[in-house]
Amino acid sequence: MVQINFALKEVNCKIVYYGPGLSGKTTNLEVVHQKAPDTSVGDLTSIATEGDRTLFFDFLPLNLGQVAGMKTKFQIYTVPGQVYYNSTRKLVLQGADGVVFVADSKRGKMNENIESLKNLEENLKEHGLDIANTPIILQYNKRDLPDVYSVEEMEEALNAWDAPHFEAVARDGKGVFPTLKRLAGMVLESLNENHAPRRSPSVVAPKVSADSSGGSTTATAVATSRTGTMRTQRTASVTGSVARTRASVSTQAPTVRTTSSGARPVLVTSPRRRKRRSSMVVGIVLTSIVAATVLLHLAGIIRILP
Amino acid sequence: MVTDSDHLRNQRVVFYSDDIEQIDVVLAEFLELSGCKCNLLIDKEGHMVTSGGDTNSIDEQTVAALVAGSYAATREMAKLLGEDEFSVLFHQGKRDSIQLSMVGNRTIMATVFDDQTTVGMVRLYARAACEKLDAIFEEIRNRPQKKASLDAEFGSSAKGALDFFFTE
Repeated sequence: MVQINFALKEVNCKIVYYGPGLSGKTTNLEVVHQKAPDTSVGDLTSIATEGDRTLFFDFLPLNLGQVAGMKTKFQIYTVPGQVYYNSTRKLVLQGADGVVFVADSKRGKMNENIESLKNLEENLKEHGLDIANTPIILQYNKRDLPDVYSVEEMEEALNAWDAPHFEAVARDGKGVFPTLKRLAGMVLESLNENHAPRRSPSVVAPKVSADSSGGSTTATAVATSRTGTMRTQRTASVTGSVARTRASVSTQAPTVRTTSSGARPVLVTSPRRRKRRSSMVVGIVLTSIVAATVLLHLAGIIRILP
Repeated sequence: MVTDSDHLRNQRVVFYSDDIEQIDVVLAEFLELSGCKCNLLIDKEGHMVTSGGDTNSIDEQTVAALVAGSYAATREMAKLLGEDEFSVLFHQGKRDSIQLSMVGNRTIMATVFDDQTTVGMVRLYARAACEKLDAIFEEIRNRPQKKASLDAEFGSSAKGALDFFFTE
């Protein structure tokens, strides 16, 4: 659940990537880690088996920057996809503000997708949430494989409640940002509806479809589930191993606002500066009134005191 | 009828400056008495509430997420053993150790300490601090809930920030 901390001027939201084993949840996070500005993401932490399968969760802190004077942060988690890790999946799902369901588009994987989606529904219900009322995005991953279900087939089998969906090739970074952007928009929209005055416009990011271009890919790591080890990944890269220094989450991002659709946002003055400016205006007006009154008194037009 | 979004909204956690000031006083007193290095107060979802002491060498957000995960896993273990939960966890290292103490039912106090103090001292003062913090949280829970109000420009600012951040 969203935490609003007025003392630290922070808004914290939790996003969870859910889906069947080897559908590309961790790959999504690796891409976000790789593509996001260094100053805005922390370390990607994975609690995984020696075979690089997620054992408990992957975690990536992401700082969106200042939003109306509040540092807005997302804590992004993945769950272990393998069926027998349901108890840990349930734990990670606790308090989620939004879910990305990463489905495997490869033909023959539909039953696993459906089973995982049912499992998500059940686990959400255990936390008192209805899947239909929870911000959720479906991501149809691995669209570059030669033998995949059509989007229509995926929609019919998985998207009973008409949630937004994106096509993706997470391994190549395609569709990863649009998916996360849309879900982040939905989460902040929900927050905005409940905690900001009505005149504030909608937050939801525009619906963008990720294209699914060609290129070959192979499935991610092969499962060898042995003793769990914990590692902190400082070189998260999907295609290679580009070292990235640890980026502590910055609080220096500027306040931004869109000017028009499609245009990059421009810097605007902070609320505190606007408040100071309005105080100055009030001060000048009051001083002017007092000065005018004194002048009128001196001129004998009015009398201040009897 | 209570919808799920209502349920979610009701569960949202809001901390005000006055609350955090009170909490920080308790944490500072605990740090001084126990001789610990630092203290992190974390909610069950892994979000930081506040921290005290020397946290410069710690990636607070990641520690918070791992503490919450560790606590959640241990709670499940406790249930399997017929306990409600284990209220104190302790991880001992060669140099630094960490103690996790449950405050009320939704906050965890993570205390990092080294050989400048002892486990006994930490445990003794942590118990007292947790009781004080629990009383503060109880007071927060019981007072009439005022609606947390974000800036009127939150919506437009958030949209701008998303467009800015997710430019590929």
